[in-house]
Amino acid sequence: MNEKAVEHQETRETIIPVRKYPYYIEKPPKENRVGRFLEAFAAVLKYSDYKPLLDSYCTSNTKCNRCAVACPVFLATGDPRDIPCYRTNLILDIYKRYFTIGGAIKARLTNGFELTEEIIDDMLDGFYRCTACRRCTRECPLGVDHGLITRLARYVLSLIGIVPKALQVSVREQLEGTTHNTSKVPKEALINTLEFLSEELEDLLGVKMTFPVDRPGREYVFFCAVSDYLLEPETLMGNAAVLYAAGDWDKWTVGTHNYDGINYGLFYSDWHLENIIKQLVAEVTRLKGEKILIGECGHASRSAHDFVPVFAGKEAYPVTNFMEYTLKCIQEGRIKLDRDIVTKRVTYHDPCNIARSGWIVQQPREILKAFVNDFVEMKPSGQDNYCCGGGGGLVSIDEIHEFRMSVAGKIKAEQLRQTGAEICIAPCANCKKQLKELVEYYKIPCTVMGLHDLILKAIHIPGGKSPQERKEEAALMEM
Amino acid sequence: MELWIDFARGPLFALTFLIMLLGLARLIIIQIYSIVARKGRRLINAPWKKIFREALSWVIPVRHLIPGTKIFSIVSFSCHIGLILVPLFLANHIVLWEDLFDINLPQLSSSVADYLTLFTIVCLFILFGFRVFSIRLRSMSRKSDYVILIVVLLPFITGYMAVHPKMNPFSWNVVMLLHLLSAALLFILIPFTKLAHIVLFFFDRISAIHWQLRPGAGDQVAESLYGKEAKV
Ligand code: SF4
Repeated sequence: MNEKAVEHQETRETIIPVRKYPYYIEKPPKENRVGRFLEAFAAVLKYSDYKPLLDSYCTSNTKCNRCAVACPVFLATGDPRDIPCYRTNLILDIYKRYFTIGGAIKARLTNGFELTEEIIDDMLDGFYRCTACRRCTRECPLGVDHGLITRLARYVLSLIGIVPKALQVSVREQLEGTTHNTSKVPKEALINTLEFLSEELEDLLGVKMTFPVDRPGREYVFFCAVSDYLLEPETLMGNAAVLYAAGDWDKWTVGTHNYDGINYGLFYSDWHLENIIKQLVAEVTRLKGEKILIGECGHASRSAHDFVPVFAGKEAYPVTNFMEYTLKCIQEGRIKLDRDIVTKRVTYHDPCNIARSGWIVQQPREILKAFVNDFVEMKPSGQDNYCCGGGGGLVSIDEIHEFRMSVAGKIKAEQLRQTGAEICIAPCANCKKQLKELVEYYKIPCTVMGLHDLILKAIHIPGGKSPQERKEEAALMEM
Repeated sequence: MELWIDFARGPLFALTFLIMLLGLARLIIIQIYSIVARKGRRLINAPWKKIFREALSWVIPVRHLIPGTKIFSIVSFSCHIGLILVPLFLANHIVLWEDLFDINLPQLSSSVADYLTLFTIVCLFILFGFRVFSIRLRSMSRKSDYVILIVVLLPFITGYMAVHPKMNPFSWNVVMLLHLLSAALLFILIPFTKLAHIVLFFFDRISAIHWQLRPGAGDQVAESLYGKEAKV
């Protein structure tokens, strides 16, 4: 830590960023990045609403440094450049110098701060080391929202072409491609997968469920992270089992024009955030649905829940997260879960995007308590949880795998190990991917899965095999 | 000398205090105006309850004593008590408020005020020490962060010396004048430096409102930079 700190003692202008974990950029801008950055920043300030908040932050920011110990990245590296407030000040300094009167006067009088190529390097490095988990915000006495600032900085950077290729390619396919989803899953493949899931479910549960596709006038239109169709069949089967057992099988549908809940716009761009939301809402309108049902995915849930009301105008359908729906079914006595199936110790990881605001914290715990006997909390958990280390889109950037493991996810891994749990529930496509990689990297004897994967084991299906029978079958298979 | 003191106690005090009030009012008005103008009716849907609950959690911030920053937090929280109470409720100040604004504030007993002042001075020194000796904090601090701490310290130290002639090697007049001048300087600095957080803390907290982005802005930004056919 000392070495880095000493290096840091020099004035900011002389810091040469050590980019240990570079990410691919499709066409990195080469010339006049400073000028273009300022131009883009000016456009953002002109058309969007960030000005008052930036004014307030750059006047009142006291740099008390409490946020440092809240940030998993800083705690892992000890590098002052990973202090949330330091990073936030990168952009606040630019704002103050170039977009406020006081800053302009000061610059005339003294030869103070200037935006340089090095600072741009510092930003493109720093703002993709933050997972935008907003844990620091809860520990800031002034409530400075570093997550929002990270996002704003990434937005301006993206406007001059600095954006991780992994994110950009996915968003491009989602908005301009033929499949309209981030994983390029064509409609036919979706239908095949649903048929496959239906067969699997029949084998497993002993009842036939044909997935409703493009059915108009249904109450719920279902969106999950599209990658779930490829990677997380058990989660989807769990979702289906709940809908079936609750007697709501004819109340929902999947649409074939748009079936992806992922919205990377939440991580780096207002422009994309809005257009992806509009695309999602258009699908619900096309299908004459009433509500948006989001599968197990933190950022998909948050972007729909928070931004459908902002961007969709009259078409702002209510948004439900699948866990809210499942809990409601349990409370109304519409589904039953068997207490004797899950005997292992279970813990729960709170995805930042749904837990930090306090929206979904209790619901999954109540569901788990309905059928899990040995449940342990991570410490801290709930609204104060630590990010898995893959937030803010980082999990999709494969080339920084080492950063996600050894830095951003370090504390999470430790927390997980301390619970001694054999099963870790992570109801989010991103967290799940990151945590699965973490347990492998740190060799923690724990299985990471979605909440509905576990529910699938314990749910009573009317007219189907009992959970006990299924458990025995599974045991036989394993032998 | 007495003339100077009278000047500092009268017109200078009134003027600098007014500058502070107007400066702070300006900040509040700009904030409210720009937020209302830009967000309009969307403000109604903001999670106000949550915002206030979070803000209140800092009045008695026990929940926020997390490892790694415990001492700093306790010191910086508690120094705010003196920073707020002493200037307002000290017996000698109350006379001032009465003279100037004709308001009667309740009085802090002199021994309480004494201890509180000392306590605040100690706290401020510790905070200064943190800024100097903690690598983490130092790496983020600019010159102004140190200067402001000193400016806040001065009126407390000089004030204490003025009340306790025994501890004061200088003449009372000099110390009093310094006290008044440093207070005046502090008043002027408040609305223009990070000390403005005494009113802006509230506007910092409402990021939930700022997350409600402006519909259409993203397209406008892209269009203004790259024209109508902007591509992802
Ligand atoms: S948002 Fe999370 S990762 Fe980013 S600075 Fe804050 S605590 Fe650290």
